[in-house]
Amino acid sequence: MTDATITGAHVAPRSVPRLRLAAAEPWLYLAPALLVVAVWTYVPLLQAFELSFYQWNMLPRSTPRFVGLDNYRNLLSLPDMRQAVVNTVLYTVGLLPLSVGIPLAVALLTGGLSGRLRNLYRALIFVPMIVAPIVAAILWRWLLNEDHGLVNAWLAGLGLGKIGFLSDPDVALWTLVWITGWKLIGFSTLLFAAADSAISPSYVEAARMDGASPWQIVRDIRLPLMSPTILLITMMTILFGAQWSFVYINALTGGGPLRSTTNVYHVMWEYGFKTMAAGWSTAAGMLVFVVFGLIAIGCLALMKRFAVYDE
Amino acid sequence: MIRRHFLALALSTGLLAGGFSGAAQAQMAPAIDKPVTITFYNYNLASAGLGREATLDLIARFEAANPNVKVEPIAAPSNEVLSRVQADMVAGLEVDVAQLVFRDLIYAAEQLGAQPLEDLAGDELSAHAEGFVPNGLALGAVNGKTYGLAYVFSTPVMFINRDLFRAAGLDPEKAPRTWDEVKAAGMAIAEKTGKHGFFPGAYGPIDGTFVYQAIVMSNGGGKVRDGNTLTFADKDQADAVAMLRDLMDSGAHARIDVGAHMDTFASGNLGMFLFTSAVLSRFETAAKGNFELGLAPMPSFGDKPTAPTNSGSAIFMFSQDPVKQRASWELMKFLTSDEAYSIITSKIGYLPLRPSTVEDPRYLKDWMAANPKFQANIDQLDRLTPNVAFPGPNYRQVENMMKEAVTEAVFGDGDPRAVLKTAQDTAQPLMPQD
Amino acid sequence: MTNKARAGRIAAHGVMIALSFLAIFPVYWMIQTSFRAENEIFSGGWFPTAPTLKNYADVLAAMPMLRILGNTAVMAGATTLAQVATGLLAAWALVRWRFPGGALARSLIALSWLVPFQVVMIPNYVLASKLGLLDTVAGLVIPNAAAAFSVLVLYNAMRGFPREVVEAARMDGAGDFRILAEVVLPNLRAPLASVSILCFISAWNEYFWPLLLIRRMENSVVQIGLQFFMTQEGNDWGPLMAAATLASLPILALYLVLQRQVVDSFMKSGIR
Repeated sequence: MTDATITGAHVAPRSVPRLRLAAAEPWLYLAPALLVVAVWTYVPLLQAFELSFYQWNMLPRSTPRFVGLDNYRNLLSLPDMRQAVVNTVLYTVGLLPLSVGIPLAVALLTGGLSGRLRNLYRALIFVPMIVAPIVAAILWRWLLNEDHGLVNAWLAGLGLGKIGFLSDPDVALWTLVWITGWKLIGFSTLLFAAADSAISPSYVEAARMDGASPWQIVRDIRLPLMSPTILLITMMTILFGAQWSFVYINALTGGGPLRSTTNVYHVMWEYGFKTMAAGWSTAAGMLVFVVFGLIAIGCLALMKRFAVYDE
Repeated sequence: MIRRHFLALALSTGLLAGGFSGAAQAQMAPAIDKPVTITFYNYNLASAGLGREATLDLIARFEAANPNVKVEPIAAPSNEVLSRVQADMVAGLEVDVAQLVFRDLIYAAEQLGAQPLEDLAGDELSAHAEGFVPNGLALGAVNGKTYGLAYVFSTPVMFINRDLFRAAGLDPEKAPRTWDEVKAAGMAIAEKTGKHGFFPGAYGPIDGTFVYQAIVMSNGGGKVRDGNTLTFADKDQADAVAMLRDLMDSGAHARIDVGAHMDTFASGNLGMFLFTSAVLSRFETAAKGNFELGLAPMPSFGDKPTAPTNSGSAIFMFSQDPVKQRASWELMKFLTSDEAYSIITSKIGYLPLRPSTVEDPRYLKDWMAANPKFQANIDQLDRLTPNVAFPGPNYRQVENMMKEAVTEAVFGDGDPRAVLKTAQDTAQPLMPQD
Repeated sequence: MTNKARAGRIAAHGVMIALSFLAIFPVYWMIQTSFRAENEIFSGGWFPTAPTLKNYADVLAAMPMLRILGNTAVMAGATTLAQVATGLLAAWALVRWRFPGGALARSLIALSWLVPFQVVMIPNYVLASKLGLLDTVAGLVIPNAAAAFSVLVLYNAMRGFPREVVEAARMDGAGDFRILAEVVLPNLRAPLASVSILCFISAWNEYFWPLLLIRRMENSVVQIGLQFFMTQEGNDWGPLMAAATLASLPILALYLVLQRQVVDSFMKSGIR
């Protein structure tokens, strides 16, 4: 849609050499990004693809041994894999309210508040974003500890029982979802607020003139115009939820208690990346890339269909 | 066609080069007659505190005594140091001496190309090893040759919160000696104080398997593997885990966040904590003004002897150049000398590989007199039992499966022996075939 | 009507205050712990009973913290500039022209986001060492000089840009680069600010790559500095919290400054 409009006028007839130059022009703009991505991501990725069929530790003194699909077979037949897949879905579903629901509500709510307080709130809820993940992990581990943690002390003060936030297999996963989401709320809010502020006030003004209620304005103007951002963040949560929570799984539970918090990414890490066996880790990497790549392509198709752009 | 393309890509950045086999070993140079720089990969340097200070002190002393040798220290956290060494080898950088944890022993020897010290230093090694603890060289041996020289290591000891013992009506002077006594004491603490009884540092992400292995091998000496056959689900080995599960079911074994056990003990909420003695100085600071800290040897199964297993690390040599080999060997000798162990033991809290230093007034005698708690740790040196590393390219995966199974056997509600057996059957195909 | 609006406003404040508390309490905990003596760490309470600066002294004694903060600022700043620059150019190419291979290029850039870092880590390390980038800030920046995130966000932002303005500029005979630099860019302040902030933060919090690449303390960055107080023998809570506080303060200050800029740029923006 927009491609067509911005591009449209440019297809004016021109001399042939000029056209050839014009054909090269977009590639000049793309070159820096493509070059970086090619050299530092895709070349190594192709190498990884090949290595995933070998058993090798990458050391110059040893020779790679071709093992066909063994690396993939070993990974997929790991006993934790099924649980990990289920948990990955749980993480994603659990994260959505924290990465999309609350931030969207906050952006819409605070849009109507007076400037100074609104900025204060937005500044405060953004703070977790700047806390290094590893620091966030150990802070929450501490606050949520059953014995010396403040949260359980408060719960006890309220007459409630202690909760083993990280030691109870029924709770631990949701604890990790919360910690992951805690860092995301501010990030998403910032993006939603930016999207909301970018909406031309003339639309809102016009709707108000027509007697639309605030809710109608949200539903019919603000939400649709924020839809690219909403879809982007939803997609990011689906694609990266497992990766984001991985930091906390790795730092806090190591997948336990009783594998209740493991996810696909963590299993890959545990058996692939963490060991220096090139075969396991590249096979793990290829699996992650291909599966999430397919999901991404699906998401992109959906995005194209549902996003509304201000024209 | 496509295959060739990938191969070309791989070759272009030097991966998959393969085929290079170490050239015939040149003899180590007899002396260092020109200035030489060696790299030293070390994890004590990667964190602030006593370990770093002591290590820097050791390196400075070594350089002062060997003016021709310059040591370039490369710090990496203990769980990253192997990756760093390997990445640098892949990148073609020179690795001379590296401090690696014992779980990586076989990998370092067979895959990374650590030098077998007997071949290189022969008589010098046996002369240097005089005065080591009986099992000293065995800690770093693979197939009868020494690849790693035990360096900073320790054994599991029982940390005691004596205040909790008193509060539970127990005598803190009589620390539990057997697992039955641990069970009784743990139940008493849990019931009377509402705090936790006992916990071993055996399940968490950073714990390794040395505490678990020490418990297993204390039950009749059976190991977690026999050659290339996994045996961690055999009767004695599984019984040991079943004992832990029994502690758990009785309430004596805490059910806490496995990654925060040190904090639980330091905050005064745990009565007995079985873990490496290397954390002693940290607990002493944490306990000051909060509770009275005690130390006891690890518990036994009835009157069977305990098998304290080494945690920590050994130092390995990877140098190829004869002069650098000499420099590396001199560094390794210095780091395992009487002088070095007086520093390592008194400043960091690791065990002395050379027990005679404990009685020698030039070295640790005074310090021991001032730190009587440490005796419990020293006493275990006689029975020091080498930690069992796993062989083959999948050694980490196998070890991981074992540890997961142990955790599930203790914390889960399935039959512990069945859980171990299933894991053993799953992991066995990942072991090297005979 | 006004009552209803007021009730709604109070509810909004209530929700925001609760969320703000949840957001900053752990950070408050970090800061107050950084002033506690070592044997007081676990004693609970809202304030340290005997506040001490010893943890900060320990941090400054253990490492050249100011220099490390400087390194991190340079690294994060350079990474941000590079990502924004490559992102702007690429996004402009994708929005401005429709050309064969354009969709493929966009997909390749987008998909690169999904490649797990660990897969490319070792090959990149080998390459960086061949290029002499070990232990350098350049080595930390160059592999991250382009990011799918900045390309995609700026791409979306540009697509939302009113075409009349571009048309007008084109009528005036402006070249494509001039339109980008003089017409589009000034109107992209808000998304640019958001992208910059997020790039900066993620570069600031980068951990695995510096851990592999940096060898000397004086070339280190703050995340490695934090690791310094997390040892095999447990966390050194006091200095760790002090270091974490020091590591967070500059970026928090920067954010507070930029937050104002973002809001201002919305007000002044020519999008009407």
